[in-house]
Amino acid sequence: MDLATFAGPFVPEILLLGATLLIFLLDVLKLRRLELMGGIAIASLLLALLFVVADLGFAPVAALATIPASRINAAPTGTPLYAFSSLGLVFQGIFLLAAFLVALASLSRPAHERGAPIFYGLVTLATLGMLLVAIASDLIFLLLAIEVVSIPTYLLVAYTRKDVRALEAAMKFYVVGALSTTLSFFGASLLFGAYGTTNLYAIAAVAGSVGYPTLVLLGYGFLIAGLAFKVTLVPFHAWAVDVYDGAPSDVSAFLAGGTKKIGLFAFFLVFLGPILATHLSGTSELPFGVGPVNLGPILQLTLAVLAVLTMTVGNLLALLQKEMKRMLAYSSISQAGYMMIGVAIGSSPALAGATLQILAHVLMKGGAFLVVAGVGALGVGPLIDDWKGLGVRRPFLGTAFGLMLLSLAGVPLTIGFVSKFVLFSAAVDARGYFVWLAVAGLLNSALSVFYYARVLKVMFFDAPAPAAPLPAGAVVGGSGPPILPAGGLGYGRAAAIAIIAVAIVVLGVYPQPVLGAIQTAAQHFVSLGG
Amino acid sequence: MFPLISAILATLLVGTVATFFAGRYARWAALATAAVFLAEVALLFASYTGWPGYSTSLVPGFADTESYAWISLDWLHINYTVGVDGISLALILLTAILQIATVVYSWGETKRPAAYFGLVTLTCLGCFGVFVALDVLLFFLFWEAVLVPMFFIIGYWGGPRRRYAALKFFVYTHVASIVMLVGLLAMVFYSGASSLDFSSVYASARGLSPVVQAFLFLALFFGFGVKFPIVPFHTWLPDAHVEAPTGGSVLLAGLLLKLGGYGLIRWAVEVLPSGLHIDQPILFFIAFLSIAWGSIVSLAQRDLKRLVAFSSINHMGIVLLAIALDSSLGLLAAVLLMFAHGIVSGLLFMVSGSVHHEYGTRDIASLGGITPTSPALSTMVMVGSLASLGLPALIGFPAEFTAFLATYEGLGYWVFLPLGILVVTAAFYLWMMQRVLFGPPKGVPAEAHDVPWYEGTGMAILVVFTVLFGILPGLLVNVITSSPIRGFP
Repeated sequence: MDLATFAGPFVPEILLLGATLLIFLLDVLKLRRLELMGGIAIASLLLALLFVVADLGFAPVAALATIPASRINAAPTGTPLYAFSSLGLVFQGIFLLAAFLVALASLSRPAHERGAPIFYGLVTLATLGMLLVAIASDLIFLLLAIEVVSIPTYLLVAYTRKDVRALEAAMKFYVVGALSTTLSFFGASLLFGAYGTTNLYAIAAVAGSVGYPTLVLLGYGFLIAGLAFKVTLVPFHAWAVDVYDGAPSDVSAFLAGGTKKIGLFAFFLVFLGPILATHLSGTSELPFGVGPVNLGPILQLTLAVLAVLTMTVGNLLALLQKEMKRMLAYSSISQAGYMMIGVAIGSSPALAGATLQILAHVLMKGGAFLVVAGVGALGVGPLIDDWKGLGVRRPFLGTAFGLMLLSLAGVPLTIGFVSKFVLFSAAVDARGYFVWLAVAGLLNSALSVFYYARVLKVMFFDAPAPAAPLPAGAVVGGSGPPILPAGGLGYGRAAAIAIIAVAIVVLGVYPQPVLGAIQTAAQHFVSLGG
Repeated sequence: MFPLISAILATLLVGTVATFFAGRYARWAALATAAVFLAEVALLFASYTGWPGYSTSLVPGFADTESYAWISLDWLHINYTVGVDGISLALILLTAILQIATVVYSWGETKRPAAYFGLVTLTCLGCFGVFVALDVLLFFLFWEAVLVPMFFIIGYWGGPRRRYAALKFFVYTHVASIVMLVGLLAMVFYSGASSLDFSSVYASARGLSPVVQAFLFLALFFGFGVKFPIVPFHTWLPDAHVEAPTGGSVLLAGLLLKLGGYGLIRWAVEVLPSGLHIDQPILFFIAFLSIAWGSIVSLAQRDLKRLVAFSSINHMGIVLLAIALDSSLGLLAAVLLMFAHGIVSGLLFMVSGSVHHEYGTRDIASLGGITPTSPALSTMVMVGSLASLGLPALIGFPAEFTAFLATYEGLGYWVFLPLGILVVTAAFYLWMMQRVLFGPPKGVPAEAHDVPWYEGTGMAILVVFTVLFGILPGLLVNVITSSPIRGFP
């Protein structure tokens, strides 16, 4: 295999690696211009996104495809470390979109902020790791790719190096991340002991006939715990609120909208095989005297309970929050619960619904944190009550943020409604006790309306408090210029928010092209995993 | 064929947006929208192909249907499908009448009129959408679209306890619509329907086993029943009515309650016949409970508006009874009753609103002899009350007569239960009129006068239809019985 054939499919990854190295090189050469770094990052992310979309076979750009069509969704030969599935490509697209939006908005970070150039290097590096997660087909490869994402994000949380809260958040993030990694690898080692392989296809193929059910269950238990930290499932969620709250809001957008989703795809990869393989009949010697067990139903029930717990606890705690970022953080936790419904069911409709929910969440929650960052730069405080009258005084920001909240609440004609509708339809379609997952999800959506509506009320109906008026010209960073153009937001951030707002409505009204592609990808994924 | 239904939806949508942004011309924009809507409904009637003699088949036919693919996955086919039959046409006419009457009646609204009239138009848009939607998702979208504007109408323009009432209304009806949605989805997926369209659900749901049908029917019955409202899930209604502004009450009683009845007929009774058959005793029980409870509690009310609200529960109980009879006569009676109740309760809520405006109270005991100061208003009180208790030549009579005929046909002498209750309610209404309208003036402020012209006109519109369909109920009966379901004559 010559180099071009080998490297061809990795064009997006190579682009991001090149961009990362270039940005760090420029930093060493002291060429620390924000626009330059940002431009490199955005260009590489956009190009990579273009190639991924081409690989998915969308007509206008399909000619640019770098992966031979025969290698996508191909049945595995041997025990490869990586494989290209179209669902993985869809996730690459989602990750790149999230990173692109954050990078675009961050062009409007104050130029004098120290470490801003490094920010872009870390974002592209983390995104590279995310792309690798999406093509993993081996447990160890997967967990290492997750590490490639995690380490840059620990640094990202504290990249400003001044803010004590951010530093504390970074420490907490790092400690929890290390624990999560340990649990995951321990689980993987137990699985290796039981299966004799770490290849996910191989595990899926033999999942029905392994002789060590206790070992396997323990292994999956540790893996669930380790990955649940990443996805912020209750009861592994507590760190997320402090980290999202303490990190700079742009980084929160990247964490909530981007890197959190690798955990979900990891759940897809790891658990789809055993869930679809219905029988784990250990008839040979059983080490702990356990008889034959059905692995699939046990895992499904565990994940379903986690899903319901996560969405309910997240919503209830979000109701109590007084600070905007903490409210968004808890709402992010509850949204993770919805997505887990898809994993617990494991059918291709449910996976499609969960994937669309993940895409929706990138737009809604990523967008919301980007707006929070912009609003924070305008000198508005962290409390929800500090946003009084903002929707009237800043109609663009108000409308965009309103759309994002409505979408989060699942109001019709937004993408958030479509994704929830597909997901809950899939749950009803799956029959059995999964219907109750749909009921739980719908009740939770109804509950969540209250805290989103409260923000809308504060923004549009309450008169602004006289004590804290908005500054006349938007001054960023507290002291002196530069005053950002585009209503104090900066062009980059304004463009990113506008793209998100339009996408929320367009995909909400006409989701067919995206949803159709996701559904096809999910079908391929299920047929491979089973 | 000209897509008339989509054109009407577009009219209402444009009208809603225009009203929101029309500023001080908002009421004119709302009136223009309502007028165009009424004209288009007339066109819809004129072009209706389903007059008696319409052919029947397994799948019920609808007129003016339009269908466009919206979301198409291999396990989920959602279409934009709309169409009308006789039942929905009758209720669409009701929507148009109540919309124009409400807009005219509320002409003097001074508190943020643009938002108020915009929300009124939006509510009517949602109701029209519910009546024409023939796809599960589309139906649900419109169903929810009614909820939100009504929440704001109660919560912003309402009385002293408006926030509590609005929240209660929202929670009750929203939880119910969640159960309804799950029921509808379960109906689609358990029956293996090829799409979310009414016609494919209709065709495949019959294949479900009776037990499954019974459970699905119960879920749908709960979802639609809270909107009815059925006892014991009715407690949101008196609160919402008492706190809502008059226009809100009119739409709430006149249209929103009908959504429950329409939904039950369209999506449960027609689609799950075996389910209805099994659940019939439960429906009868709840219907009798609602009839009795509604009227007994209304006897204890001193507030005019609460009285009307509880008599709504009573009337909607009769509607439920008629639906539960599972006969074509009963179905006819149910739709007639819904139409009649929509017009009459709208009138009665307007009346009690006007009494409140003019006399500063709705307390029956502290009012008396208002006829000399407000002759027009008193006339309206009289027409509304008499129509409500079923005086011949007014719209209530043909509806209630049909309902009791159908009850006798289906249940024999059980008919005396609702009939007896009706007599008590009638006596109570007469007693109320006697105290409020006649006798020596009591609690009449010195500056009291008759209703302003716009309130009078709004009520007069409803009076015209009360009399028109009271004398010529055949106009409605012809439309309703043209629906090619359940072997209408």
